[in-house]
Amino acid sequence: MTVFTCKDSFEAMMTCIYAAWASGIGHDDVRLQLEPVFQRELFCTYVHVEADVQKTEKVVSAIQKKISYEAYRQVFLASVSCGEDRLDAIYRFLVLGFSVGAKLTGMLFRPEVMWVLELSRKAANEANFFREFTRFALADGIYVAHIEPKCNIVAVTAEHFADRMPSARWMIIDDQRRIAAVHPADCPFYMTELSGEELRRLKETEAEKDAYTGLWIEFFQTTGIEARKNPGCQRNHMPLWYRRHMTEFLV
Amino acid sequence: MKIASELSLQEKLHILADGAKYDVACTSSGADRRGRKGCLGNAVAAGICHSFASDGRCISLLKILLTNHCIYDCKYCINRCTNDIARAAFTPREVCELTTEFYRRNYIEGLFLSSGVWNSPAFTMERLCETLYLLRNVYHFNGYIHVKAIPGAPDELLAAAGYLADRMSINLELPTGESMKKLAPNKNHNMILRPMRMMADTIAQHRLAAGKSAQMERSRSNRYLTGSIFSKERLEQTGRVAGNTQPAKTQGTKTYALQKMGKTEWKQPFVPAGQSTQMIIGATPETDYHLLRTTQYLYQNYDLKRVFYSAYVPLNEDGALPAPDTPVPLLREHRLYQADWLLRFYGFSADELLSEQRPNFNEELDPKCDWALRHLERFPVEVNTAQYETLLRVPGVGPKSALRIVQSRRYGKLDFAHLKRMGVVLKRAHYFLTCDGKMM
Repeated sequence: MTVFTCKDSFEAMMTCIYAAWASGIGHDDVRLQLEPVFQRELFCTYVHVEADVQKTEKVVSAIQKKISYEAYRQVFLASVSCGEDRLDAIYRFLVLGFSVGAKLTGMLFRPEVMWVLELSRKAANEANFFREFTRFALADGIYVAHIEPKCNIVAVTAEHFADRMPSARWMIIDDQRRIAAVHPADCPFYMTELSGEELRRLKETEAEKDAYTGLWIEFFQTTGIEARKNPGCQRNHMPLWYRRHMTEFLV
Repeated sequence: MKIASELSLQEKLHILADGAKYDVACTSSGADRRGRKGCLGNAVAAGICHSFASDGRCISLLKILLTNHCIYDCKYCINRCTNDIARAAFTPREVCELTTEFYRRNYIEGLFLSSGVWNSPAFTMERLCETLYLLRNVYHFNGYIHVKAIPGAPDELLAAAGYLADRMSINLELPTGESMKKLAPNKNHNMILRPMRMMADTIAQHRLAAGKSAQMERSRSNRYLTGSIFSKERLEQTGRVAGNTQPAKTQGTKTYALQKMGKTEWKQPFVPAGQSTQMIIGATPETDYHLLRTTQYLYQNYDLKRVFYSAYVPLNEDGALPAPDTPVPLLREHRLYQADWLLRFYGFSADELLSEQRPNFNEELDPKCDWALRHLERFPVEVNTAQYETLLRVPGVGPKSALRIVQSRRYGKLDFAHLKRMGVVLKRAHYFLTCDGKMM
């Protein structure tokens, strides 16, 4: 068995898929795994693959042309989701996809297809949650938000806000992964990695309180109807772990 | 009683959010609009909730009253003129600043602006319009706005609000004229249905001018359902023909005066997210059957996007109202919403779910299960061959899983394990389904 490993980024994953395919070893004799690999198996050869823009483009355009755009959407979302074995799941999905073509995403009775659907659904649902629950605080004229999603969906979330607030300066920070989407006024946003020092300084923005923070908490507390109180229902819609960075629960 | 200007913004917000919280129509769906440079905001068709209050209801819009001063004396309402409560009023600029600043921090999806009737319906509606005008044109707010139409306000003000807001609503409050007379003595159904009719026709004309169909968009599943309340045959029975090119003229009704605004105004969206309304349940003796029939009538004849139900919360003591310790009919409200979904997404009609003989929902069972148990002769259905419409009637199968079933069975046979992963709730569904002739 040959195991192809790569870093946790979309480009690296696509390049890894390209390498595994091009190696000609045979689909049953290769496995794809994300780094870091904590425990190596006996009788396996490990091959590290570096991200390559051209190979990524080749894989992406092949998926879009030979399978479908919907398949590409699912692959992208699955790649940012949080399953340990998602890279191998995508590979198996594509192996089947390149043989059956556009009907791939409809073949839900095949475990490969269902697996990727579930992963992509997880990422899409989480991105949707953070569209709702991301909270910005105003610090020095910049709106700063901190989130800690399970899937790597900062960029997906930032796309939504780029359309919503095109002329404002804002940034969304993933505290766990130490990455941020930064949006200057009237420009497209870009992704950047943060150093420990930068992250520490940016964390201070969360304590920032202004008049509207207080007003929002006032509104939030007033608008619930006492006679209908239902914390179970509230938790169902908004699980506790999402509330970590939400203004109304920081009091 | 304090005078409004003495209050701080926080006190005002407390009073006016408290006064608005009993209104239930707080969704941000129906409008789809991209953001624009220099403006703030966009709108997403599915709507976005931003938080959930302690009662489990979503907070999507900044739901406030412009003022809780009111000249009316509706018995059930906390803001009625005979109640001795703290009164306040926002200035239009205060509303605009709250909305835009909350929006930038992603607390809310837009504004829900309602108001007590201040001096007169016309005066109140004018203040509402002024606020919306400022918000759209001075604060360049491009997000979602839901505004209440004040019954009895002049047509031109309602029309002006229609060009500024995404959704408008007039609350029907009570489904019968008698209940209305008893509990809302200053209002009558004509005051509510006339503007609702005109609004519906004006929306239809603008949709036609923009090259869309006259009817509002409905869930896509409806196009595969022959018995849907929105199907062409059913709408023809009601006299409002689907795809009618000139709804206003053939009906002989009036629309809001557009001719003054010149030709181009036709292309401007008018209430793009449609109208909604709400009814109070539990304060008057109407049955579920009556409420559901009214709901269906409003969907078909007024093309409303949503009808909301508000379980009556006892706030005032009054001989005409239920006793103050009456429990809030939350389960009944829940059953009505379930039935409302069955009308809009599942192709059911009110008469299939309830009848004169069975006028109320079963509290133990949801309406769809209840229907299935009364029609056991139709089950079980075979997953690998049944029509979409038939699958959708199975308890535990929704529009999404039914669609997944019909898409994937083209390429291979399905069994119960596949259904489970597709999202079918087997706990309920397995009594009503077979896979390749076998039960689970």
